[in-house]
Amino acid sequence: MASDVAVRRYRAWYAMLLRLYPRPFRERFGGGMAQSFHDLCLEHRNANRGLFGFVLWVFFETSVGVIVENTAHRSQLSRTMLRAALVALGLLMVPLVASRMTPGWNWPPRAFVLVYVLFFGTALAYGLIARKMGAWTYKAGVGVALVAGFALGWSTMVQTADSGHPERLWYLSVLVVGFIGACLARVKAPGLAVTLFAMAATLALIAVILPSGAPPDMAGRMAIGHGVFVVLFLASGLMFRHASLARLK
Amino acid sequence: MVKKYTARAPLTPAVLHILLALSTGERHGYGIMKQVEADSQGKVKMGPGTLYGSIGRMMEAGLIRESDKRVDPEMDDERRIYYKLTGAGQAALEAELGRYRDVVAVAEGRLAYGQ
Repeated sequence: MASDVAVRRYRAWYAMLLRLYPRPFRERFGGGMAQSFHDLCLEHRNANRGLFGFVLWVFFETSVGVIVENTAHRSQLSRTMLRAALVALGLLMVPLVASRMTPGWNWPPRAFVLVYVLFFGTALAYGLIARKMGAWTYKAGVGVALVAGFALGWSTMVQTADSGHPERLWYLSVLVVGFIGACLARVKAPGLAVTLFAMAATLALIAVILPSGAPPDMAGRMAIGHGVFVVLFLASGLMFRHASLARLK
Repeated sequence: MVKKYTARAPLTPAVLHILLALSTGERHGYGIMKQVEADSQGKVKMGPGTLYGSIGRMMEAGLIRESDKRVDPEMDDERRIYYKLTGAGQAALEAELGRYRDVVAVAEGRLAYGQ
């Protein structure tokens, strides 16, 4: 009868094999696969059936799965990139057409290239992150966070260029908080919820501390703008929180 | 590439067996494997690679989903993820069984003529 040591050793080898799966697949199903393998090993051991032959079969069967999933993952990645490129192209049409119709809108070609890169990066980030979890609240949270982050970054750059107040670049620290938080959370819902709440708090803090230097009527509009962004970040954080709680139930 | 399963498209054997295993209730991965083995009288043995690859594609196609509740947390490991059929999964299973019934009816008719 195979010992517990043998079962533990096979399980450790199986965990190493699972590392060959694409990361999204491994994060989603790796735990379940390792648990199922362990259950099957115990079943074979307790029934006194040949464990080594069974383990060889599972390793072969899982290796085929590794090849299939890696092939599918690569083609899925290219499709996501193509979709992001097309969506970015569609969005680029808005400023392109508007610049032809609006007097005084004279962007140089490099500005359009920059805008395209930003649109593409945002759409690609949505495509790559949103597929990590099937819950609609997670996908909606990613969408709201990216759109709000993009709009905040864009308006900060435009206002800094127009007003000549470089201190307004402090608003970009909200995006830095978001980026670092998303990396630390490995884009998982519970960590993203905390990250979005931290972004909302950072923005509110900057809005209170940083003098706007704007006339009173303009300052009022800016306060409303800040409020909208804070609400969007909070809403996104609540959606991630809902997704993580649903996952735990 | 995610294969689109519709009520008209035939299912792969692995997908059919998983749908059949989940038709009587929510199950985790090991539970599905044991149910498939029981349903096929031991003729079909599904390993984790085939099972979870199929589960991933079936979830993306909307045939099954992770269950919100655990069947019995007192008796079971709470880390286990249970899966359940969706409405689309139930419809796809019924359509597939209907196709099987049609094929069997045709085959039996031909065998009867041949005798």
